Amino acid sequence: MTLDLTQVSVTHANGVQALRGVELHIGAGEQVAIIGPSGAGKSSLLNLLGTALPPASGEMQVLGERVWQLSARQRQRLRARIGLIHQAPPLPPRQRVVTAVLAGKLGQWGMGKSLLNLLHPLDVSGARAALTRLDLSDKLFAQCQQLSGGQLQRVGIARVLYQAPEVLLADEPVSAMDPVLAEHTLSVLCRHAREHNVTLVASLHAVDLALAHFSRIIGLRDGQILFDLPTDAVDRERLDKLYANEQLQPSPAPPSPLSVQIPRC
Amino acid sequence: MNRLINALLFLCIGAAVVASFAYLGIDLGQLGDSGNLNRMGAYAQRFLSPDLSPSHLKAIGHGALETIAMSALGTLLAAVFGLVLALPAAGRFGWPMQSASRLILNALRAVPELVWAALMVLAAGLGPNAGTLALALHTTGVLGRLFAEALENTPPEPAEAIRLQGGNAVWAFCYGTLPNLMPQLLAYSLYRWENNIRMASVLGFVGAGGLGQMLYVSLSLFQEAQASTVILAMLLLVLAVDTLSSWSRQRWVKA
Repeated sequence: MTLDLTQVSVTHANGVQALRGVELHIGAGEQVAIIGPSGAGKSSLLNLLGTALPPASGEMQVLGERVWQLSARQRQRLRARIGLIHQAPPLPPRQRVVTAVLAGKLGQWGMGKSLLNLLHPLDVSGARAALTRLDLSDKLFAQCQQLSGGQLQRVGIARVLYQAPEVLLADEPVSAMDPVLAEHTLSVLCRHAREHNVTLVASLHAVDLALAHFSRIIGLRDGQILFDLPTDAVDRERLDKLYANEQLQPSPAPPSPLSVQIPRC
Repeated sequence: MNRLINALLFLCIGAAVVASFAYLGIDLGQLGDSGNLNRMGAYAQRFLSPDLSPSHLKAIGHGALETIAMSALGTLLAAVFGLVLALPAAGRFGWPMQSASRLILNALRAVPELVWAALMVLAAGLGPNAGTLALALHTTGVLGRLFAEALENTPPEPAEAIRLQGGNAVWAFCYGTLPNLMPQLLAYSLYRWENNIRMASVLGFVGAGGLGQMLYVSLSLFQEAQASTVILAMLLLVLAVDTLSSWSRQRWVKA
């Protein structure tokens, strides 16, 4: 198993319990979508898997290692094999896109290369290749502050593609993109995962995107796993239950946040 | 009632002014004497004919270069040591280091440049060495404090993201924090350089080299013509540096 959680709970510093007794096993090369209402703990789960958050209790293994029992050095080496795509990529506004993308391999490069790359981008073609797949190669030498939210998200994805990790975690990777672009970007991610046998776990608030691209769906609600099923077994009833009590009563269909996204781009 | 208090206050201030004159023995009447006015005019006149002989201009050029070099080197040293001290002062290495480095920065800043220069002249001898050290010491305190505040106000997320990808702390700082911080560091350093050029032209008064030393020597020997050339050179230097500094700030920081 690539990702193993046994009875894991996560408590934030402010005392809020984000995850309770989560049991989750994901094998190598699986493609899993996490859906659920906002505040369900999707980001906490991905941050936990990305070793950004330590579990409060329970057992956790990533790539066969007990992350929080490793030394700091070993943990950094493990982290170089995990890629985390942030919903709002934290990129310095004045950094050039090419540098931001190349920073993906900092965990793998040695001292000299990292230092030289700071002064002059060393692998422009590699960065261009990653950006081309996301249709953003024209912004290679732009500053991050000149990009829109959706473009920034794609730079964040390009950085992780360039990092080429064994586990790819994506926290709402397409939330700021228009429907067509979101569709395209997700298929790029899934194709990359398939071709390189990368384990892909993505949280999405657009249920139809999750159903269309992923083979396994996890429904998260109030910090607990409500269902964990192959996509074919996910029916409307379960989705209704997952999103129940949200202000969706007029329409029985699962929410389609795609229409909500359009004005945001 | 309010008016009464105001009137009383005015009376008190007036009384204090009169008392000050009486205590210091300043005689304003003498200032208006025709003899004194003539003497003042003559003194000012001697300044109106600056010494523009090539040999003196050459000496001034040398002094100006020394002043610029002192301030530039002092500011550069201060920027480097300021950043070195700012990292612990911003709490990057735990609170004991934080308190210690803040104490050092405060101590460096609390002593003015002129006092540092007087101390350094005793330690390093007369000349530009002492001036450079004095500027570096005081400016380290100032820049270290400013850098630490800038560091504290920089968002930590970009650096954390790089740590999460396995990058070490140095690269997290260089790739995550520095791009946000650099323009601010540059702006602060340029501003302090501007200040230091002005300061460097005064430091010579305690024997720390540069234009100030020339001015001090000329004035001590009552060579008003030479002194006025030095003052003119100082004015030009400060104007030039102000322009250069604002231009480079426009170019590097605003863009």
